[in-house]
Amino acid sequence: MRSSSPATYPSLTRRLFSVWYRHTRVYTKNLISNGLPPFLEPLLFLLGVGLGLGKYITESMDGLSYMDFLGTGVLVTAAMFTAAYECTFGTFIRLEFEKVYDGMLAAPITVNDLIIGEIIWAGTKGLFFTFAVLCILTLFGITRLPESLLSPLVGFLTGLMFATLSLWVTSFVKTINHFNFYLTGIISPMFFFSGVVFPISNLPPSVRFIAEIVPLTHAVRLARAVCTNAYHLSLLLDLLYIAVFTALTGWLAIRRLRRRLIT
Amino acid sequence: MRRGRLIGSDGRMGVIRVYNVSKSFGKVRAVCDLDFEVEQGTCFGLLGPNGAGKTTMMKMIYGRSRRNNHRGGIIDVFGYDPARDELAIKSLSGVVSQENNLDEELNVTQNLMVYSKFYGLSARVARERIEVLLDFLELSEKVTARIKELSGGMQRRLVIARALLNNPRLLILDEPTTGLDPQVRHLIWDKLRQLRAQGTTILLTTHYMDEAFQICDRVLIMDKGKRVLEDNPHKLLAENIEAYVMEVPITDGTPVILESDLPEAVRLDRTEGTMRFYANDIDRLKGIADRLSGNPYYLRQSTLEDVFLKATGRVLNEKQ
Repeated sequence: MRSSSPATYPSLTRRLFSVWYRHTRVYTKNLISNGLPPFLEPLLFLLGVGLGLGKYITESMDGLSYMDFLGTGVLVTAAMFTAAYECTFGTFIRLEFEKVYDGMLAAPITVNDLIIGEIIWAGTKGLFFTFAVLCILTLFGITRLPESLLSPLVGFLTGLMFATLSLWVTSFVKTINHFNFYLTGIISPMFFFSGVVFPISNLPPSVRFIAEIVPLTHAVRLARAVCTNAYHLSLLLDLLYIAVFTALTGWLAIRRLRRRLIT
Repeated sequence: MRRGRLIGSDGRMGVIRVYNVSKSFGKVRAVCDLDFEVEQGTCFGLLGPNGAGKTTMMKMIYGRSRRNNHRGGIIDVFGYDPARDELAIKSLSGVVSQENNLDEELNVTQNLMVYSKFYGLSARVARERIEVLLDFLELSEKVTARIKELSGGMQRRLVIARALLNNPRLLILDEPTTGLDPQVRHLIWDKLRQLRAQGTTILLTTHYMDEAFQICDRVLIMDKGKRVLEDNPHKLLAENIEAYVMEVPITDGTPVILESDLPEAVRLDRTEGTMRFYANDIDRLKGIADRLSGNPYYLRQSTLEDVFLKATGRVLNEKQ
């Protein structure tokens, strides 16, 4: 049988693309409700915190005015939040409630294709969310074109990094409510202690050590460097951190989710 | 040697060969030493109560579940082993899983377009194929309908259409008609017969005996992961059960009929609320009916369900 008509199936790239395409189609189906908030959120945040609170902050932070400091920080937090939600609640719903993966895995798609496609999709969302923030920042005159145009790429990397971490967390979760521990216990604190709203350079050494360990700090540093055109060799360490972190948590996530998807 | 074994006694090619396959989940053995072969262009049914191991067996065939890898268990599908070549097997197969899992955000055509990408179809080929399939499954009027607007039967047909996008040579269906109304069930059976006539091999699970009787060329009755009976459904009926059965509900006024009172070649199966008399000679059952002094009874031809209940027992297992 095998010799009479050998089976042909799409190449790895096409398989990954098809998974990505599925998620894109479903996401863009509700373009207004899905696509507008990424622009509104940074707008409200910059108006409320940046202009409102920032008026009282006259000290410069890492050599930037407060609006500039905050603005370049929230570029990647948007990517973090969207990837974290996508790969916790989103993935869990597809896995357990909608049974979307049961359908996809009936097609010539492996579990690896499925999860890596998912990660690339979360990266894409990170790119889009960072782009949305960038539009607002440009509107406020906080970032300058064209150098800041590289920041969505940092958003992409941030998306990948939080996708793999979140998928790994998801692989342990049996009840959807458990994500609250992760999101309010790990993701939200990162927003405050990764140099987004204030610099970590003046933190006590023990707290600073923690800030250096968590992933968001490194993404924030890259984004800020890109927007202010202030490149430094130490940024290579941040890039290396992101690469190693993504590869490691990605590997762990695939290993554990595989056991959940293939019984 | 492998290829030789794949050719059945009447010269038909074997599409699926399962040999000595077991599957355990922890201490629970879901499938125990199962063997069967499915020949090309036939419909093979895995039949059994909930928890019998039907779905697990089916998932092992397309790579969603891995068999225990000891004691020489073999699964061969089109010459491929699902534990190694799941992509090859899935590219030649279509799978309809137990739940409908359609993308509710997308409409009917978009649902199929998204899946056509998984099979690597170009947009032009996919559009043509989708038109043919929607027509085949009588969904042509629903091309732009939202999934929520579809009835359960339409959703099921759409999932079947989705599984046919790649023109599969093997169609795998897990309980294709569970929960559907009689019209839709007959429509789906018709379509499956047409596919089989075109040479598509069909493997399905069901716990409906009439479904197995309607469309399966061969059924394997499973219970607790083991094979109980396997044959052509008509033969199973002819060889394993009497031709007629009379069911008598037991009420306070029902006369007591003991086994010793029965005429020859009549078998009695008594459960909590019902007596069932089995015989090949309908007149003997009518004779018993006359002794019921006007109490209600139901005399009918026996079905595969009677074979099934006889083979698997009437007591519920813990998974039902």
